[in-house]
Amino acid sequence: MKYSIIVLLEIEEMYKGSVQFIENLYGLFYDRNEPFEILVVANGIGEFLKNELMVLLNCHDTVKALEFNARTTQAVCLKAALKETNGKIVVVCGSYQQITNDSLIKLVDNIDDEIDIATPWRQHRVDSALNQFQSKLFNALVRRLTSSTYHDTSCTVKVFRREVLENVEIYGNMYRFLPILADQKGFKTKEIKCEHYQQHGKSTYYGLTHYINIFIDIFTLYFNIWFTRKPLRFFSAIGVILSFIGLFIASYVLIQKFFLGYSIGNRPLLLLAIFFMVLGIQAASAGLLGEIIAFTHGRNRKEYTVEKII
Amino acid sequence: MNATNTIKSKDMPVYLSIVVPLHNEEESVEKLLAGILEVTEQFDFAYEIIFVDDGSQDNTWTIIEQLKETTPRLKAIKFRRNYGQTSAMVAGFDHAQGRIIVTMDGDLQNDPSDIPLLLEKMEQGYDIVSGWRKNRKDHFSRVLPSRIANAIISLTTGVRLHDYGCSLKAYRSQCIKPLNAYGEMHRFFPALASMTGARITEVPVNHSARKYGVSKYGFERILKVFSDIFAMNLIIRFSSTPLKGFTFSSIPFFLMTVFFGILAVLSWNFQWTSGKTLFFFIAMALSGMAVVHLITLGVLGELVVGTSDLSHTKLARYNKIMMKKRDDQGFENNHKDAEGQSPDLNMLYDKVKTN
Repeated sequence: MKYSIIVLLEIEEMYKGSVQFIENLYGLFYDRNEPFEILVVANGIGEFLKNELMVLLNCHDTVKALEFNARTTQAVCLKAALKETNGKIVVVCGSYQQITNDSLIKLVDNIDDEIDIATPWRQHRVDSALNQFQSKLFNALVRRLTSSTYHDTSCTVKVFRREVLENVEIYGNMYRFLPILADQKGFKTKEIKCEHYQQHGKSTYYGLTHYINIFIDIFTLYFNIWFTRKPLRFFSAIGVILSFIGLFIASYVLIQKFFLGYSIGNRPLLLLAIFFMVLGIQAASAGLLGEIIAFTHGRNRKEYTVEKII
Repeated sequence: MNATNTIKSKDMPVYLSIVVPLHNEEESVEKLLAGILEVTEQFDFAYEIIFVDDGSQDNTWTIIEQLKETTPRLKAIKFRRNYGQTSAMVAGFDHAQGRIIVTMDGDLQNDPSDIPLLLEKMEQGYDIVSGWRKNRKDHFSRVLPSRIANAIISLTTGVRLHDYGCSLKAYRSQCIKPLNAYGEMHRFFPALASMTGARITEVPVNHSARKYGVSKYGFERILKVFSDIFAMNLIIRFSSTPLKGFTFSSIPFFLMTVFFGILAVLSWNFQWTSGKTLFFFIAMALSGMAVVHLITLGVLGELVVGTSDLSHTKLARYNKIMMKKRDDQGFENNHKDAEGQSPDLNMLYDKVKTN
């Protein structure tokens, strides 16, 4: 099997588009004359879509479906889908079409001996200006924090070589950052300019909770990339800064006391100094505990990835 | 009785694994292998050579592939990207089958003919033998920070060696394999292993100046090494007895709690100080919080260390068995988890078990 196309079916309002989209994918890969399979991962979808899906499944025998009873995360969907498929190249799509057919083919063709991951960068976006702005801001932040070069992490469409998905561990909603995590493991990624496609004309606005969630995800990613193997560095940096602020304030107050003869017994500033020192020591000691955990329990999480052994 | 020195057979378990991390060493890799083979061909026990290509950008890997064709003994591991010397060594340890593992630099600065010296020391019963570049052929600007770092490591970890940075070291595999090394820890392998009761010594080895490639050191690196020393000391100390460590570090805060507590009582009941009672109470509460926090973390740490398989009590027990065996059998020693042990040793283990 050369291609496995995994369709992550999530958003219920998009049902009409979804079935059309899967049909479209089928046609697209059928024309390529290479063995392929389509796996639809239904993540907590409604009755209507389920019925539509059954019709679709009956039409084509290379289309399979997985259904999760309860809503779960993208990472779990992907892991299950990976287990059920065996294509060498894995094409992951969302529940509706995000890029044009030509662009998708371009992405797939870009996977060769050198490139392990192809990720799109949507050009000429047709969704609302607010969404575009948010997306730009978000991606700039991600680039900054992870020192990567991706311009469009939020597009669900991505093409991977199978070993990438097997070697890079993701959880929760980290799927969008998979290229960044894979980079860390030494896989080669290429960002390819693609044409944005929007069928419905109606675009979804994301609420505040969505962005808070994403922000937490970015922080998790940041921590994962830079500090999971050395939590002490991360926390002790915070701890040292806090303690220094505390010490600075304390010395200021003490100088006043001993050289200028002020009474400091009831100065809130002294309290603040103690507070900062306590905070600093707490941060540093949490980092130390993290380091102990990493040292005594992290043995199965190898730091290196092996490409070849002869 | 010493099977390793009398029988020469390809079927016998590997006794020695030589692990060499390589990063952009296309000029030296061929000479390196030739140099190692020249020494190892005189050995009458089974050995293997493991090259770890640490994400080289030059032709190192293609040369290794060519060398593999002529030297079947050679094992090679290619990383997807550059992960650093420690990871390369750990990968080598993970794939090594030998009972003794020797690590060395890939830049020809270590002399393979020193390997027998290290092995000799191992036979005397040491678990780790470190090379000591007594006459270093490097520039003064590199030797001096290294001297200082060595002195600090030596003082703080309690393992007395002259040269921690020397890559040429020999380890008994069961002493190094359980270590969960990451980051830049390779310098601290002896110190880490000593936590589990390994016997450590050093021998002076040859050192030649770098012929090819560029040295991978700089000022940044020196800073990194020093912060590593600090971090490793904390880790070594705290991961053996976390509760003790955390409790000790809470002492200053405990003293502060007592101090402010006394002041609070004095100002409240006797009006002996000019400060406000509320202030002293809050200060006392804050520092008391830190004490509780630290001791709680210590208890958690104890839990974490206790549930890990790097538990120090377990390794100490292994050591006892090893010592007993040494009495029976001279230098031979190995515990049941080690790979590649000879049949004699298995019998001995049965004996130990039935006793």
